[in-house]
Amino acid sequence: MRYPGFKRLLKLAVRPRAVEQDVDEELLFHLEMRAARYEREGLSPAEARAAAEREFGDVGRVREECVRIGHERERKMKRFLLWDALVQDVRYALRMLRQAPGFALVAVLTLALGIGATTSIFSVVRGVLLRPLPFAAPERLVRMWQASPSQNQARGEVSPLDFADWKARQRSFEDLGTWWYVEGMSGSNLSGDGEPQRLPAAFVSDGFFSTLGVAPLLGRALLPGEHLPGHNAVAVLSHGLWQRRFGGDRGILGRTLTIDEVPTTVVGVMPAGFDFPSERVDLWLSDSRISESGIPRLRQVRWQSVVARLKPGVSLEAARSEMNGVARQLAEEYPATNVQTTGVTVLPLHEAVTGDVRVGLMVLLGAVGFLLLIACVNVANLMLTRATARERELAVRAALGAGPGRLVGQLLTESLVLALLGGAFGVLLAVWGTELLVAFSVKQLPRLREVRVDGAVLAFAMGATLFTGVLFGLLPAWRARSPQLAPVLKAAGRGMTGTGGARLRGALVVAEVALAVVLMAGAGLSVRSLMSLLSVEPGFRPEGAVVVSFSSSPGARPKAQYLAEVLERVREVPGVQVAGTAKNLPLEGSGEPAPLVLAGQPAESAADAPRVRHLHVSNDYFRAMGIPLLRGRAFTPQDMGNAPPVLMVNEAFVRRFFPGEDAVGQGIQWDDTVAPIVGVVGDVRQESLSEPAPPLVYVHVLQNTRSSVNLVVRGQGAPLQLAAAVRQAIWSVNPDQTITRITTLEEVVGGSVARPRLIASLLGLFAVLALVLGAVGIYGVLAYTVGQRQREIGVRLALGARPAEVLSMVLRSGMRLAGLGVALGVAGALALSQVMGSILYGVAPHDPLTFGGVAVVLLGVALAACLVPARRAMRVDPAVSLRAE
Amino acid sequence: MAGNSLELMQGTLDVLILKSLSWGPLHGYAVAEVVRERSGEELKVEEGALYPALHRLEKRGLLEAEWGLSENNRRAKFYRLTSAGRAHLRAETQAWQRYVAAVSRVLEAA
Repeated sequence: MRYPGFKRLLKLAVRPRAVEQDVDEELLFHLEMRAARYEREGLSPAEARAAAEREFGDVGRVREECVRIGHERERKMKRFLLWDALVQDVRYALRMLRQAPGFALVAVLTLALGIGATTSIFSVVRGVLLRPLPFAAPERLVRMWQASPSQNQARGEVSPLDFADWKARQRSFEDLGTWWYVEGMSGSNLSGDGEPQRLPAAFVSDGFFSTLGVAPLLGRALLPGEHLPGHNAVAVLSHGLWQRRFGGDRGILGRTLTIDEVPTTVVGVMPAGFDFPSERVDLWLSDSRISESGIPRLRQVRWQSVVARLKPGVSLEAARSEMNGVARQLAEEYPATNVQTTGVTVLPLHEAVTGDVRVGLMVLLGAVGFLLLIACVNVANLMLTRATARERELAVRAALGAGPGRLVGQLLTESLVLALLGGAFGVLLAVWGTELLVAFSVKQLPRLREVRVDGAVLAFAMGATLFTGVLFGLLPAWRARSPQLAPVLKAAGRGMTGTGGARLRGALVVAEVALAVVLMAGAGLSVRSLMSLLSVEPGFRPEGAVVVSFSSSPGARPKAQYLAEVLERVREVPGVQVAGTAKNLPLEGSGEPAPLVLAGQPAESAADAPRVRHLHVSNDYFRAMGIPLLRGRAFTPQDMGNAPPVLMVNEAFVRRFFPGEDAVGQGIQWDDTVAPIVGVVGDVRQESLSEPAPPLVYVHVLQNTRSSVNLVVRGQGAPLQLAAAVRQAIWSVNPDQTITRITTLEEVVGGSVARPRLIASLLGLFAVLALVLGAVGIYGVLAYTVGQRQREIGVRLALGARPAEVLSMVLRSGMRLAGLGVALGVAGALALSQVMGSILYGVAPHDPLTFGGVAVVLLGVALAACLVPARRAMRVDPAVSLRAE
Repeated sequence: MAGNSLELMQGTLDVLILKSLSWGPLHGYAVAEVVRERSGEELKVEEGALYPALHRLEKRGLLEAEWGLSENNRRAKFYRLTSAGRAHLRAETQAWQRYVAAVSRVLEAA
């Protein structure tokens, strides 16, 4: 840039003195002084100017640099001024709060409650739903199931033979692996090293560890060769087991443990966060250790769960269509076993892990967000009330020269200071609340270990705090931007009753009531849903029965003989009236699916045969459970071992296969013979309270043994004492028998509704808080209005109005707001409750009873909140209120 | 006009500016003249470097500027030392004297 010459500089437009202008004038002055001096020394004016410029050097560059520095200086000054104003405002805000400690306390507590509750729920949502799974590149991991669309079955396990074909024929995946883990069933006995222990174990195939891509903390994962018989005496331990049982000893690698009576070498320890497929798993073993007699490796025996890693760039859709193609090929090649399994369900692993808790958690997050909004509205109301009382102060400040920006800034700062105080307490509440939530939701939510108050959660709390601060501060601040000086000062001391302000506060009350209605409706629906779940007739009598579960370890004896001996001893225990066993208790699963071929149908039809659940139970099971025997007879001790096999079925089975007929005496194809149905029992909810009983075939466990045993005992005396005596009886048969759980049937039922109960209690808690805040809001506004209208009321009373009329006038004005809020809230709740549909049972999302009840409760509470100020208005003494002028 | 003046050492310009202002407010041109005169015409301030230096010192809060009238009744920007600038000058002067003394001791050690 060329220097424009002295004169042109002077023609620069006169504007607020810009940095450029200052610099130009300063440099011009210098050059002119220098030129004048040279002229005095005898140079011509032109020569002098040229010499001065030459002497100075590159004027353009110097000018640019000076301008740059000048701008920096201005920015620094501006920052300083802003900071200064902020410090002033904060100091002023703190002083104001100290002067109104009641207001400050209520506001801060309200906000702390809102922010704390929201942050607690968010920390759970983040840990469970938002945080990526703790595996390498988790977004490429998927879970796969075999699907039988014709059977309406989307998520079936896979047989090792089918899995091998999947693996060989697919091109979409980098790696695939399987595991077998069933809670309470898949476990291993650790013995010979301290007391014997039953450890939950996952039996995995080659590819399991490499697909997940998590490096062991110590040692290594299982090698491909270690899944071959003869080389599979190796184990990987969980971090928890390593710490608990081996004290975190690094020398554990290479040690030999006796697992299921096989000397097994420890080759690795997984890191603490690795909890796949369940946080309970303590051991990972090769599934080749499961014997053929335990699980026959047949195409129709399906028990493996599949995890796979997509190749980079392969879409879920592409993988789905490829795998469905593979399933169809297999169905054609192996019609005997695969004619029904014509599909594969592929879901992102994250969705598979968190799937069914998503709706519940999102509803809770939404509810708690509403609670925060209500808290905001309440504080905004308080602020407005105060702002009206402070109108005079603001007017004076404006008169003394505070600009609108400055006034708004000051009020917003006050809101933010309040919000930050509330946020600080809220975070404390959240830390505590999160711990409480985690403690309450053990077993109900996956990934609880990953729930913690961390940076992201704190950032969320900060965001919520600033958001609320601006939200509730904006209204009062906006109204304060241009206080009307003259009327306020003229009113001299008496507060103003701006009608605009009253309308605004009324609108806030309406909003608050509407939000509370939405929350209450959500809570009401989930409570009603829980109640209808609990009132479901489960088909058995939960009261007074004890449950002792174990995985049978018969030692040298045949399993059936062992179980018969155990049952015999248990029945001899004094006080025991009846005892029986089942492989799966009601509400905990329906047993094993198997094709059902009725007598007289060709055996080849097994492939197309409907798959029916088979449950293995002992004699006396139905009596112990209180399940009614409807027709025929129950299993007896004589239906044992070599006796011809007999079966029982439930009512749902009869309805499906022998509608209108007598099922007793009908035959079912059983291996090479036909087993007769000897009895029919009542339906029992096996999967969950919300699912009706499936058709079920009961198999006598003494004829067809299973390891997993749930012993149900009914007798006299306290349940725990009875259970202890039962345990002694079991140990008298085999002192090494490990017991996996002792509980009551009632607790089994309770456990099955723990999640709906958790959601209902939390929503209920939020709704009660919302109701209280809403009531406080209505009360506050009405009390304030009555205070403001004291003079008017006094005049009315003096002119002969009856107190009852004054009462009803005040009540009417309050209830008008409440009524409008309820109407809006019901409309909003009707729209929003649809999302809850999938977590509700036995109650429609628009249940009229719930909505009616909520409306009545809220109007009742609103009436109570109006009554207090209304009665005060009624008692206004006209003489006093008129003299007060 | 460059003559045989000594080149200014890096960093000394700031101190010289502060020092010349310690006798009272001056405009930029006068600062250059004062330094030249007081040094017995030995030191010559590079005018291209003078103004950025003045502005930087102002930004750092060591100088304050104000527009006033010069000796020939022209509007000129006068710089004045702030108390921070005065403290800075004291510290820099001491450091400079210690530096010179130390260098001299080395050079004069025969």
